Amino acid sequence: MIAFLVRRIGQSIVVLIGVSIIAFILEHLLPGGPAKAIIGPRATPIQIAAFNHQNGLDKPVVVQYFVYMWHLLQGNLGRSYKLNQTVNSILIRTVPESILLVGSALVFSLIIAIPIGIYQAVKRNGIFDYTATSISFLLYSMPSFWLGIILILFLAVNVHFLPAEAPQGANLGAILAHPSGLVLPILTLTLVSYASFSRYMRSSAIEALAQDWIRTAKAKGLSQRTILFKHMLRNALIPIATLVGLSLPSLITAGVITESVFNFPGTGFVFINAANTEDYSLLLGIIIFVGVLTVVGNLIADIAYAVLDPRVRYR
Amino acid sequence: MSLLEIKDLKTNIRLRKGEVKAVGGISLSINAGETVGLVGESGCGKTMTGMSIMRLLPSSGYIAGGSITLDGEDLVKLTEPQMRKVRGNDIGMIFQDPMTSLNPCLTIGTQIAESVVLHKGVSKADGLKRAMEVLDLVGMPKPSERIGDFPHQLSGGLRQRVMIAMALACEPKLLIADEPTTALDVTIQAQILELLDTLKNQLRMAMLLITHDMGVIAGRADRVTVMYAGKVVESAPTDKIFSATNHPYTEALLASIPKIDGTTKRLYSIPGIPPDLSNPPEGCRFAARCRLADDHCVTTSPELNSYDGHSYACFHPIGIETEHVKVETRTLEEAEAPYVPTGRPIMVLDHVSKEFTITKGAILQRKAGTLKAVSDLSLTIYEGETLGIVGESGCGKSTTGSMMVALEKPTSGTIEFNGENLFGLKESELRTRRSNLQLMFQDPYASLDPRMRVGSIIREPLEINKIGTRSERDAKVVSLLGEVGLSPKAVERYPHEFSGGQRQRIGLARALALNPKLIVADEPVSALDVSIRSQVLNLMKDLQSTHGLTYVVISHDLSVVRFLADRIGVMYLGKLVEIGNGYDIYENPAHPYTAALLSAVPVPEPELERTKNRRVIKGELPSAINPPSGCRFRTRCDRMQPICSDEEPPMSNFGGIHEAACHFPLVTPVTIGQAPLLV
Repeated sequence: MIAFLVRRIGQSIVVLIGVSIIAFILEHLLPGGPAKAIIGPRATPIQIAAFNHQNGLDKPVVVQYFVYMWHLLQGNLGRSYKLNQTVNSILIRTVPESILLVGSALVFSLIIAIPIGIYQAVKRNGIFDYTATSISFLLYSMPSFWLGIILILFLAVNVHFLPAEAPQGANLGAILAHPSGLVLPILTLTLVSYASFSRYMRSSAIEALAQDWIRTAKAKGLSQRTILFKHMLRNALIPIATLVGLSLPSLITAGVITESVFNFPGTGFVFINAANTEDYSLLLGIIIFVGVLTVVGNLIADIAYAVLDPRVRYR
Repeated sequence: MSLLEIKDLKTNIRLRKGEVKAVGGISLSINAGETVGLVGESGCGKTMTGMSIMRLLPSSGYIAGGSITLDGEDLVKLTEPQMRKVRGNDIGMIFQDPMTSLNPCLTIGTQIAESVVLHKGVSKADGLKRAMEVLDLVGMPKPSERIGDFPHQLSGGLRQRVMIAMALACEPKLLIADEPTTALDVTIQAQILELLDTLKNQLRMAMLLITHDMGVIAGRADRVTVMYAGKVVESAPTDKIFSATNHPYTEALLASIPKIDGTTKRLYSIPGIPPDLSNPPEGCRFAARCRLADDHCVTTSPELNSYDGHSYACFHPIGIETEHVKVETRTLEEAEAPYVPTGRPIMVLDHVSKEFTITKGAILQRKAGTLKAVSDLSLTIYEGETLGIVGESGCGKSTTGSMMVALEKPTSGTIEFNGENLFGLKESELRTRRSNLQLMFQDPYASLDPRMRVGSIIREPLEINKIGTRSERDAKVVSLLGEVGLSPKAVERYPHEFSGGQRQRIGLARALALNPKLIVADEPVSALDVSIRSQVLNLMKDLQSTHGLTYVVISHDLSVVRFLADRIGVMYLGKLVEIGNGYDIYENPAHPYTAALLSAVPVPEPELERTKNRRVIKGELPSAINPPSGCRFRTRCDRMQPICSDEEPPMSNFGGIHEAACHFPLVTPVTIGQAPLLV
């Protein structure tokens, strides 16, 4: 198990270095550059050169990368010249809010998807199964921004049931003070990820139920309940653990979009603004941060996989 | 009163269109402490009968009629919760494939204990204690250390022991064993069958032994019930089934199995295939394939007639009204006549070894060891003969076959074909030689491209080698189909439209297309049912004489090899341990492994099975990554002496073409290899 962890962490570090290189190169390929963005479109070449020199931007890209990585290792993600704040401080303010949104959507969607998927597998090809399948396909094919707008239209505009906008606040406490505003953004994201989770849960439960060892369990006289929850569930969750890890990036992307739809003051919202205002150092910081998050998420999924499946553990 | 009494059981499976009448009204009884064998080919309803008793039918299946009485209680009438108290408690069940029948995520201890906890109401700790007891009972080495193991940490034989332990944990009155040894090697099969027998007597259980293998039935069952197409055709004490057969189907089934003494010249084969059970025939279900059937048989279904505990469902019972079938045989003298190769050497394997590198890690492939699949194998194949290679799985017989047809390159040593070293040739030269070396595959379902028509499948080798014009190729395809007994119409059809036996014929036609000199048949009939198997085996013999083919037949089935082969080589863990003609190997084996292998093979002759001296091989096949030093068989051999681990035994001659590599052979050698013989 220890060797397994060490190996996985080693792989994660390699992946992160790759992410940082690609993000850094992409940032430098973008037109404009920070100088123009800060000083303004009418900046003279002299002004730009002075700005670049002052901020170390005239050095070769490789050197800049290592300087950036050196700061990164010290936990310093750089500075947003547009907002005149450190990237760290922006992330510290906005990340908890985004984690609240994406994390609770992930938890809720799994809580809904796992039992429904199992029930569909047990009563497959019945009315409930067909209905649930249709609904999840419908949700699966809907982009998150459109689903968000539809929900706003029905639940906030037509019926004044819930607020259309997320609560605005500088910190997590302020946001949590108005939970009703959180319902629609979380619901949007939950529904979007529920769709694929329930599909996978259903097919992975069907596959597990068709195994010979389920027949063995039945031959022991175990009840349906024991068979489902003691024998089937753990085996069926193995592929779901991987799926959750793999779907983190798309969940975060959907989170970015949902945040802008609901004006949710999270990292995604900041990210969109940064892209619009050419705030490159902030963009880079967020990309690297999300990269770390994704890699760590996958690492957790791998560990969950090993915990669930003894065949992986002992290899 | 008997323990289990099945009366007129009917089990149906619902399909989208209609229903399959999987079990069509069968009656069966088992007394306490008795073993009843239920035999038949695939699709005859034997497994569905077992599942009906357990009420574990697939969701589309249901019991349409009849009763199943266990100890005076009709299981058909029980509610599901009541039935759950019977399963695992009164009736235990063992399934075919131990590799897939255990939950991979739970320890074996938990899996055994859970049925004890459930049925006996004991604590989990006491359940584990009981699990330890039963694991000890089924011969699991060091059960206290094994109890926390997961199934994947155990070998197939040990997993089947766990399955048995699980079924017996609550001491059921009845054990249903559904093909309990079909997925296992013969030596492990012998261990498991012996174990089941011992436990049955020890616990005074009744056992329903479901199998397709007449040999397994012969040695283990007190009574036998033969099923065909969902019906019982014959039921009798085991001796009577074999010696005083009444039903033509039972007779045909027995006549389809080659005798292990080599007296079978040509197998009896039942024409056609079993009927479609979604629309079963009105009269006798075997009528369409029966040699004795008349109009009456086709229109009227025969009832079971009984006398002296023997019952049969037939209007023309054999031995009462009609003569036995004539099977072409040869005398024992003929079978035992020494075979001398007359052809010239066509292929020579000289000190051939094949090793596979085992790697670890996904990105950096570190070498973790070498698997020695074949080690230092030397043998000569003569033109026109059939060489059989037998051995357990993992002994290197398939790797040897692949090297013979130049699909695998030996790590060391040479293979000469027609005087040329195959692996000394250039790739382009080798390609032109390949048409002489063809392969016949084991699985007729996986070895034909499902998206190609049969015509294209057989024509492809001709096209690749640019043989003949288009119309000549088409003519060749039709003539090949005719030779393997298929109609020319098959050209336009796809493989899925054919049965397993027919597909194996297509595979044979494809192999023959290029007029090869040598055909390597790797388990050619092991995926086929007995009655279909005999058709293919006869065909292989016929084609050999018409085409002057040389065969290498690789099989774990010793009776198939005896029937086809002139010479037989026995392999163990990558080594050729013995080679000789049929008589040498089967009647006069020199190597203890050969003798043990032979005694492990169940023979469909009850008398022989009961009286034979069982040399059950202990333990399991060692790993080929670290094979034992000296003689590789020594770890399981009862004649082991210190020299066996120090020195590898050389090949010694035992007269004629009979050779074996053993320090302490069972018969006296004529000339000994370089090493001194210690007595």
